[in-house]
Amino acid sequence: MGLTPYLAFAKKSFLSKSAYRLDHWMGILNTMIRLFIFVEIYKSLYGTREAVDGITMTMVTTNFILSLCLESFFAVDDFYLSSRINNGSIATEMLLPVSFHGRMLATNLGTAVFKLIFHFIPALLLAIFFIGMEAPAGAGNFVLFILSAILGYGVLWSISFMFQMLSFWLINVWAIMTIKNVFINVLSGSMIPLWFMPKWMSGVINFTPFASIYFSPVQIYLGNIGAAEIGMCFVKQIVWILVLMIIGKLLWIKGQKKMVVQGG
Amino acid sequence: MSFIEVENVSKTFKVSKRSAGIPGMIANMFVPKFEKKEAVRDISLSIEKGEMVGFIGPNGAGKSTTIKMLSGILCPDNGTINVNGYVPYKQRKDYVAGIGVVFGQKSQLQWDLPVIDSFELLRAIYRIPDDLYKKNLDRFVEMLDMGGFINQPVRQLSLGQRMRSDIVAALLHSPQIVFFDEPTIGVDIIGKETIRKFIKELNEQDDVTMLFTTHDMQDIEQTCKRIIIIDKGKIMYDGSLAEIRSKYGTTRQLIAEMNQDMEVASIKDIIIEKQDNRKYSFTFDNQVVDVNRLMHTILDTYNVKDVTVNEPEIESIIQKMYNGEV
Repeated sequence: MGLTPYLAFAKKSFLSKSAYRLDHWMGILNTMIRLFIFVEIYKSLYGTREAVDGITMTMVTTNFILSLCLESFFAVDDFYLSSRINNGSIATEMLLPVSFHGRMLATNLGTAVFKLIFHFIPALLLAIFFIGMEAPAGAGNFVLFILSAILGYGVLWSISFMFQMLSFWLINVWAIMTIKNVFINVLSGSMIPLWFMPKWMSGVINFTPFASIYFSPVQIYLGNIGAAEIGMCFVKQIVWILVLMIIGKLLWIKGQKKMVVQGG
Repeated sequence: MSFIEVENVSKTFKVSKRSAGIPGMIANMFVPKFEKKEAVRDISLSIEKGEMVGFIGPNGAGKSTTIKMLSGILCPDNGTINVNGYVPYKQRKDYVAGIGVVFGQKSQLQWDLPVIDSFELLRAIYRIPDDLYKKNLDRFVEMLDMGGFINQPVRQLSLGQRMRSDIVAALLHSPQIVFFDEPTIGVDIIGKETIRKFIKELNEQDDVTMLFTTHDMQDIEQTCKRIIIIDKGKIMYDGSLAEIRSKYGTTRQLIAEMNQDMEVASIKDIIIEKQDNRKYSFTFDNQVVDVNRLMHTILDTYNVKDVTVNEPEIESIIQKMYNGEV
C-alpha cells in the first residue's frame, strides 16, 4: 500500500523511456563501440603476453564487458533536482504527499528497469557473442555478483544524490556533475581496470566510494577475492551508501530553507 | 486557535544584482553582488474553517510567496505558520496530503499525456479510494464542462482548458484547504466566469477553506466576502469586501460602440453620455445595476460593435490607500 505512488512513478518513467527509440538503439551502439575500443587497446598492450601481474586478457575483457554493461543500465538523472529548481517546477513537486527522494529514486529505477531489459541484456549478449568473456567463478559468486551490483547502483545513486543537493545553492550543477562523472569513469575501473593502478593510487581509491560501484561486483564475479574480502566489499558498499545519503539528507534539510522558486 | 494561523512571518530572498551589459557581466563573474529583497515582511493573519479569502495585490507584492509558505514549499525566515495543526514546511509530506494548490503559472499535469492519465497518476499518489475518485471526477468534469477534452494530451489544450484541468487535479483528493494562486491568469472572460462559479460552489457546498490570489478585482468581487490587500510584502487591509467596496466606490463605466449612428433611450439608474455619434458611455453603480443584465439589454436592443467595461483597478485602490483615502 505504501509503495503505490512510487510504483506509479516508476511505471510512468519506464513507459516514457520507450518513447525515444532511436536514442535507445544509439545507446546500445555507444556501449558496443566503447567496449570494442577498450578491448582493442588492451589487446595491443598485451601483445603476445599471457598475463600481466597475474591478470589475463580475458579477465580484462570481462571487466570491461561487465562494467560497461552495468553502466548502461545504472540510470541516474544527475539533473533531476537542478532542472526542477531551474524551471520552478520544484514548487509543484513539493506539493505531492510523497518523499522527494523516494520519487527521484522511483523515477530512476523505472528507467533502470527499462534499460536492464532493453539495453543491458542485448548489449551483454552481443558482447558475449562477438568478444567473449569468462564465465562466473561459481554459482555462489554469480549470486553475490548480482547483490553487489545492486549495492553498486546504490553507491552510484547516492553520490549523484549528494551532489544534486548542491543545486539549492548553485542552481546550475552541470560543471560539478561533469567533474564527478570524470572521477567515476577513471576511478571506478570502467575505463582503466583498477588492477593496473599504481599501488599508492589503488590505496587511495580504496578509501573512496568509486571502487564499490563496478569493480567490487566484477572482482566477485571473477572469483579474484576470498570470502573475507567479499564481506569487506559489501560492508564498504553499505557504509558508503549510508554516509553519502546522510550527507545528502543534511544538505537537503539545509537547502530547503534556501530554496527559491523561480519564475513567478 | 484559528484554522490557518500566520504570525509575524517574514521571508527575504537574495537576488543577484549586476549592472547591464558585458562589463557588468564580467564584474559579476569575479565579485558577485547580491541584494536582499524582502518579499514578505512581518505578516500576521488568521483564517477560519470554511472561509473564502481573496488575497490581492499588484505583481511582486508577496502574494505567491505567502501562498508558497502556507503550502509548505518555502520555509519562512521568521515567524510561525500553523494550518489545521500542522507546521507546513516541517511536516510537509503529511500536510500536503490534505491540501490542494493551483498555480496559474505552473501546471502539475503531465505535458505529453492525456489529462485523464495525469488524474490517474494523482489517484495513485494521493491513494484516493476508487469511489471517491469516481465521484469527484464525474462531478468536477461536469461542473467545469471538461468532457470534450479530458482525453486530449495536455500540450494540445488551450490555456483555459489546461487551467480547468489543473483545478480538478488539485481537488481530486477532496482537500480541506485549497490555495489558488492566480487561477484565472490569461483565461478569457467565459473561462474566468466558469472558474469563479466553480470555486464559489465548491466553497459553499463542501465547506472548503480557500485562499485565492489574483490581481483581477472581478475574481474577488464575485467569490469572496473577505479580502486581504497586500503590497510590498505588507498587509494593507484585512476585512470585508463590502466595506472596502463602499469606500473606494462602486462606479463602473460601460462603453458601447455601435455599428451605425443612433440615439440611445435612457435606462433606469444609469447615466448615459454620448461620446460621439456611435459611441456611448453608460455610468452606473454596480451595487444597484447588474452588469450582466445591462450588457444583455444593450446587446439585445442595439446593433453593437464593441463593448468595454472600465473598473477601478487594484493599483488605484492601493494608491488611494497610500493617500489615506480609504
